[in-house]
Amino acid sequence: MDVLDHYKKAWKNQPEEVSKLSTAEIYKLAHSNSSSIVKWIFIIGILEFIILNSLYFFIDMDEAYAEYEKLGLMNFIFYSQIVAYTILFYFLAMFYLNFKRISTTDSTRTLMKKIIRTRKTVRNYVLFNLGYIVLVVVVATIASISTNLEELSNKQVIFIIFATLIATLLILGIMWLFYQLLYGLLLKKLNKNYKKLAKLDSKT
Amino acid sequence: MQKDLEDKFLLDFETNQNIAHKICRIYTTNRDAHNDLFQEITIQVWKNYPKFRGDSKFSTWMYRVALNTAISLYRKSTRKIKTQDFNAVAFKIKSTPFDDTEEIQLTALYKAIHKLNDIDKALIYLYLEDKPYKEISETLGITNVNARVKMNRAKEKLKNILNP
Repeated sequence: MDVLDHYKKAWKNQPEEVSKLSTAEIYKLAHSNSSSIVKWIFIIGILEFIILNSLYFFIDMDEAYAEYEKLGLMNFIFYSQIVAYTILFYFLAMFYLNFKRISTTDSTRTLMKKIIRTRKTVRNYVLFNLGYIVLVVVVATIASISTNLEELSNKQVIFIIFATLIATLLILGIMWLFYQLLYGLLLKKLNKNYKKLAKLDSKT
Repeated sequence: MQKDLEDKFLLDFETNQNIAHKICRIYTTNRDAHNDLFQEITIQVWKNYPKFRGDSKFSTWMYRVALNTAISLYRKSTRKIKTQDFNAVAFKIKSTPFDDTEEIQLTALYKAIHKLNDIDKALIYLYLEDKPYKEISETLGITNVNARVKMNRAKEKLKNILNP
């Protein structure tokens, strides 16, 4: 007889839980608020979409547009914003659909895969947004250098390039740290478990 | 209609609540966390109950939802002290109609299971509940072969903890 068989017998004979709940208590529990990570992923995802798209309210857009006009970038800004908004709606739709597909009745592995995919949709949107910001910054820097080229000394050009570079890297660095923290808090356990579960299947 | 469904759920859940209690005992080590996880399992089973079609037994379906909640959805509240450990069995189970050696074995078993990772806990739990490999691989979403390999490893780990 296997060692575990003895323990299995003890397991089988274990008494029922003392603090069994009545249907009234179960009713109360079933109607309480969930604190599952899926709920948090949804709330945080929606917040990210809102925050990233409300930056315009904090920036004086008239002033920004006047500046773009001076640099001759109005066309670039106009068309790139159409593209950016199309992509925003694509990501929002994907996020919602992926979220809707999450079901606790799936197998553990499918469930984990769907949760991770939903989270990744938001992450990809944030990456896209950062890419867009970097693109605008690069284009605006190049445009401002080329329009003011006669007035600027070589030193000043180098200074502008360096300052822009450092500011961009700083913002990206802060975002990266923020993401590490968010991911660490929400998905560390899930990612670890998912890898453990999937490990052998990829080979077979 | 809603009322009927709710009554059916309450009855099904009440009769099968031991499934959830055992999972809570495996995945948590103190009473607060136990209740917290139990609450989340109840919410998830109720939320998904309309999707339960009855082509499998309710208990089989509940194993899946409850394990999924414990492994993937549940997040320990940061308020709780993780290191606070106690004798899970003695604390939660009355021991009157219970054989002494078996009680000692059960305590040791829970203590050993607590040392396993989340996936191994699920495997061992399904093994102890005598679930066939087909059901285990379907619940976890892995191939039958993978389930067997992982199960053997989990059992080895458990044996090593029980008899070092």
